[in-house]
Amino acid sequence: MKVIKINKENWAGGLEKSKGSYRLFGPVKNNELHEFKQLDKEELPDCDYFNTRLSPKSIIYPQSETMFEFSLDENREDHHILKEIDTDYSPRAIIGIRPCDAAAFLLVKRNFSTPEYKDSYWLNAYETTTFIGLACGNPHDTCFCTTTGCGPFNEEGLDLLLVDAGDCYFAKTITSKGENFLRAAGWDAGTDVETVCEQIKTMKQEAEAKITSFVATDKLKDKKTTDLFDAPFWEETAFACINCGACTYACPTCWCFDIQDEVSGYSGIRIRNWDSCMYPLFTLHGSGHNPRSTNMQRVRQRFMHKLKYYPDRYGEGILCVGCGRCIRLCSVNIDIRRVCDLMNSYEVQVTSD
Amino acid sequence: MGFSINNQQSTINNPKWEPKIVAFLCNWCSYGAADLAGISRLQYPPNIRVIRVPCTGRMSPKFILSAFMNGADGVWVSGCHPGDCHYLEGNYYARRKLSLFKGLMEHMGIESDRLHFSWISSAEGTKFAEMANKVTKAVRDAGPANYFAKKISILKTKVA
Amino acid sequence: MSERGAKIREISERLLKEGKIDMVIGFRKGTLPMMNEPCLVKSPEDVKNLVWDSNCGINLAKYLIGRKEKIGVVAKGCDSRNIVTHLIENKIKRDQLFIIGVPCEGMIDRRKIASMFEKEIKEVAEEKNKIIVRGSGFEKILEKSEVLQKNCAICIHRNPVIYDELAADIVKEQKNVDRYKDVRQIESMPPEEKRDYFNDLLSPCIRCYACRNACPLCYCPTCFVDESRPQWVGKGIDLTDIKTFHFLRAYHCAGRCTDCGACERACPLGIDVRAFTMKLEKDCFELYGWEAGMSKDERPPLDTYRPDDPNDFFK
Repeated sequence: MKVIKINKENWAGGLEKSKGSYRLFGPVKNNELHEFKQLDKEELPDCDYFNTRLSPKSIIYPQSETMFEFSLDENREDHHILKEIDTDYSPRAIIGIRPCDAAAFLLVKRNFSTPEYKDSYWLNAYETTTFIGLACGNPHDTCFCTTTGCGPFNEEGLDLLLVDAGDCYFAKTITSKGENFLRAAGWDAGTDVETVCEQIKTMKQEAEAKITSFVATDKLKDKKTTDLFDAPFWEETAFACINCGACTYACPTCWCFDIQDEVSGYSGIRIRNWDSCMYPLFTLHGSGHNPRSTNMQRVRQRFMHKLKYYPDRYGEGILCVGCGRCIRLCSVNIDIRRVCDLMNSYEVQVTSD
Repeated sequence: MGFSINNQQSTINNPKWEPKIVAFLCNWCSYGAADLAGISRLQYPPNIRVIRVPCTGRMSPKFILSAFMNGADGVWVSGCHPGDCHYLEGNYYARRKLSLFKGLMEHMGIESDRLHFSWISSAEGTKFAEMANKVTKAVRDAGPANYFAKKISILKTKVA
Repeated sequence: MSERGAKIREISERLLKEGKIDMVIGFRKGTLPMMNEPCLVKSPEDVKNLVWDSNCGINLAKYLIGRKEKIGVVAKGCDSRNIVTHLIENKIKRDQLFIIGVPCEGMIDRRKIASMFEKEIKEVAEEKNKIIVRGSGFEKILEKSEVLQKNCAICIHRNPVIYDELAADIVKEQKNVDRYKDVRQIESMPPEEKRDYFNDLLSPCIRCYACRNACPLCYCPTCFVDESRPQWVGKGIDLTDIKTFHFLRAYHCAGRCTDCGACERACPLGIDVRAFTMKLEKDCFELYGWEAGMSKDERPPLDTYRPDDPNDFFK
């Protein structure tokens, strides 16, 4: 492991230099909201931010992504044949991504890259991207990352971790991808690793102490799925939900999609769009039957998937990094922390008969 | 492949550009008027694609939006004179529905020259031809409505 | 405000104990500042959870659709007008409802307040007409009238139009309100500028449908965006599709919208989606003298007609 010191006066120059070999993405303020976007020439990321309104998952996994194109013109030899489209998979780097959002990609990867199936769209985008994290010194009340197996200085899923130390950033290299980026940016000022590591450790502890919101997930694994499924609290939990897709679209770990063909005249494309388990159409069968036809069933699905099915299937950890977006964006205040606690502490009432 | 009117790229700089107008005509009056205009050998421009509807009361805003999305430059809806509806009151309901529709369309920035409404009875072949001329001229003057047509293109990453 | 809460709890408890209703639909305190959660209370013991303050902007009429039970529902002015609309549209029966009317003094705009502070807001309290905002190391007192939701600031029907019991005395209605200033501003733009305006307005939209789903008027079994034969609207983030969705969503509310502001409040990106519905409200008022939800004995404007309706643009 190496730690490089980047003086802030060298920040803009280094980023500009790296644009020679990388397409850079970073947080930019737009109408009072921060969002990730590709940085134009001379454009700098705004690293003085809490977190973006929506998660950066769309950089790897766009909300609408074209998979194929085709022609319906029967005068053409290749009519009705799906053809792959050219996608730019040249190297990219996301500057200033929060550790929670980077960790989320690892959880999602388990879905898009299994021994049986590899999703080339997702994987190509993921593997050509360098994740340059920015440690989180100022978490909010809705952040609960320390109890989801993550944390404000978490390194898993990152290639490089930047720590803001006032007049400079300390850049902790985590992978060779991270080192390559440092080279491309021309940042190489070494520093006394031991002292700096001590300093980072203290800052990390301070940041972690600022996180005062927790979830307990320890008992989820031992609960019987059917017990939780039939638990009585779902009706009350789901009552307020209006079944919009805000939580799933904002979530860095929600991965579901729907494939659609769109045609105009003779030319068409096949695209995949984000989908949401909150929508009735999500599970509607061709027969007209809908196995999750009620509001309550859909809300239950979302939380059971995140907090029970996922840990059961992959063996460890919940499908949540604790970024708190769904809590902040829910218009009716459904709080995953509350639901998680209900699930974790649920005991089946044994009746005497 | 069904109804498709957008396979020809239209631009204002293209001197060959011709306006594409979708006309929704009531079966009981304006559609007959179009017939009568034809039988009477009245001339009107060929820019109009007629869609027959059972009554203007059947008009859904989706039809009109769909026409624009598929590349129409103008839309014209024509039905029976107030009081003469085959179903007694369909056109009265349509009038309210289309009034609010037109208001919202123009609010979102469509030019008033692109949306036309008329009452034409089946005996009014001459009025039909005149109206067809008027509508075509207005839409021609407004130019191609590219901004409301949906273009299929390879979707680029939209980063949120 | 807290007196209203106490009165709501008192009425609810009495009704539940007397067995006049099966449940109360109201608000409980949220887990975030400036947020309350709509909730269902079935037993008198749980009545203590019910609250009322300036963060009850969600329209509870949404939660009545198609219910079969006898329900006590907490309703401010706009909620009550949407209940009237439900009665007209047969979404619920009057004798199923016990309406606990709450004369309303407006809900506060949580986004506006949050944007006034650099730091995170930890607590928001209210006292009479003041809103007290606290965070780590700061406290500020705001005038409530300056941080109202946009629709509340121009509301002219704060008192419930239909109720069985009131939770407070009738409040004074706002007079001389210019409801359509924003609409006229857009109306005065040339077409191209209007298009730019709406393109900008909608560019952040992620099509989560929060605006549609928060709306008490949206209850079609299959929404037009989900129809597939034909498919009227594409499902991606193409701007034409997004515009079409918002256009039709608003149009479906024509003559029914009470400007409760639930759509705008629900939008996770803070898009001013009322820009569409307000135009329709203005037109309904100016063309047909109609205000939605004021009386259950009058047919809504698109369900009726007059032979002498305005006809000027029909040739």
